[in-house]
Amino acid sequence: MKAIVTIQNLASDLVVTGWTPIFIGIFVAIVVYALWPKNQAMFDAASKLPLREE
Amino acid sequence: MTIGETCLALIFALAVLLCIYAASQAHDAAFAFHAYVSAAASAVAVLAIFNRYFERPAALAPQEIDGRPNYNFGPIKFSSVMAMFWGIAGFLVGLIIALQLAFPVLNFDLPWIQFGRMRPLHTSAVIFAFGGNVLLATSFYVVQKTSRVRLAGDLAPWFVVLGYNFFILIAGTGYLLGVTQGKEYAEPEWYADLWLTIVWVTYLLVFLVTLIKRKQPHIYEANWFYLAMILTIAVLHLGNNPALPVSFFGSKSYVAWGGVQDAMFQWWYGHNAVGFFLTAGFLAIMYYFVPKRAERPIYSYRLSIVHFWALIFLYIWAGPHHLHYTALPDWAQTLGMTFSIMLWMPSWGGMINGLMTLSGAWDKLRTDPVLRMLVVSVAFYGMSTFEGPMMSIKVVNSLSHYTDWTIGHVHSGALGWVGFVSFGALYCLFPWLWNRRLYSLKLVNWHFWTATIGIVLYISAMWVSGILQGLMWRAYTSLGFLEYSFIETVEAMHPFYVIRAAGGALFLIGALIMAYNLWMTVRVGEASESETPRVALSPAE
Repeated sequence: MKAIVTIQNLASDLVVTGWTPIFIGIFVAIVVYALWPKNQAMFDAASKLPLREE
Repeated sequence: MTIGETCLALIFALAVLLCIYAASQAHDAAFAFHAYVSAAASAVAVLAIFNRYFERPAALAPQEIDGRPNYNFGPIKFSSVMAMFWGIAGFLVGLIIALQLAFPVLNFDLPWIQFGRMRPLHTSAVIFAFGGNVLLATSFYVVQKTSRVRLAGDLAPWFVVLGYNFFILIAGTGYLLGVTQGKEYAEPEWYADLWLTIVWVTYLLVFLVTLIKRKQPHIYEANWFYLAMILTIAVLHLGNNPALPVSFFGSKSYVAWGGVQDAMFQWWYGHNAVGFFLTAGFLAIMYYFVPKRAERPIYSYRLSIVHFWALIFLYIWAGPHHLHYTALPDWAQTLGMTFSIMLWMPSWGGMINGLMTLSGAWDKLRTDPVLRMLVVSVAFYGMSTFEGPMMSIKVVNSLSHYTDWTIGHVHSGALGWVGFVSFGALYCLFPWLWNRRLYSLKLVNWHFWTATIGIVLYISAMWVSGILQGLMWRAYTSLGFLEYSFIETVEAMHPFYVIRAAGGALFLIGALIMAYNLWMTVRVGEASESETPRVALSPAE
């Protein structure tokens, strides 16, 4: 039986077939965020949080 | 009384009546016993709430005193003490069942203490009771300290730590009475599962709200790991445990999933209990306690971010490697194996990050046995997360599966990684919470070496035993018959079971030394000069 094209089917197709590139895309974005040179100062400050307690 | 106190007191008062009614209608003795215990606990909870109300000042504890956060350490102290208690209980039961395997006469033909009931008691006591209390204590400590804010909630943190330990009590006594739903690491029956759900959601709320009201703009890395642990355990618990009770007044229930779907759910849960409870949660401990103790910031904060997300993205798919060569579709087995192998990268990234934090301060390993314990735990993490992916490869698994090699692998992770990182954290926490100096570093040294020798004996015995067992099972004669009967393989295991028990005994002795040291720290330890540690803020060279 041929599947009927609806918004729901398109959405579920995208989730079922598209999760690999979607997840890889999200992960790549996270790596870019982690390696972005401008974020270095923020990460340096964050890494010292446990050492600067009251 | 606050609204929270009034509502909670009313709920527990109602629970007393409901539990007594349930006990009167019970279909089996174990359920009646649990209903009476729950009624008694609910009554104690009502009394405790009123007692606390009359004892406390009219106003609730302030969020800040003199502009500094007024940290809530009460529930953390309770969980730390309970961790030590359950740790010793769990290691002792482990030693008993190791001896039962070597000398079956020690089952004494008594149903309550036979191996089949004691084994889940051991695993639950060490993983959920010991490990769980360590996670509760450290997460509540770390989230407050790194957010510079008092723990959210007044009664809620107490509800979490007391409610969690009550769950352990119900689960543990249930195993001895034969109450189990037969799912490994998820043995507690439906009513215990429901109670844990309530407690765990409260835990999530306390943690989240504390983060939301933080005074630091950045959420420190360790808190991400804790949050992932809390959230994922909630999802895993709900996914694996939907069950239909035979009666609301009986302990027996049937799990909703059937056949291979049940197996898949079980090991999706089982492996991620390892991944998120025993790995993510304890990595949070590594990311806070190693830098703190070494007095140096983490080697690479960037790497910690990549480590976290890689672990989260990959771990959740690795479960099917527990079901190689079963009815599970072949593609799912291969998927599980592939993701397990990919896990090498984040695991070793994390290990390198933890170890390299010591850069320029390696000499501290000589002088500080607590730091040595933390660092050796990270080394064990690296070792066991190398071994795990290797064992998930199908051809390796065809030899290792169902043998003692698996037991050896689990214990190099459990004793070496989870055990040692927990001991290190508790050695730090007790002095910080009670504002004392640690009673004796010499005793920590004794603990370290006793436990290390114990672990080496344990895991090397299980490696030899497991590979021997696997090779004997698959040995054929020239005529195509199996070369060994099953009982011959059992006989061959005996010396290794004795060595394993000796290793477990040493590990237990180490924990007893620790308990004495911590007890003396609280009882007679000198007051610490200052809460603020000496800090060296320069990054590692």
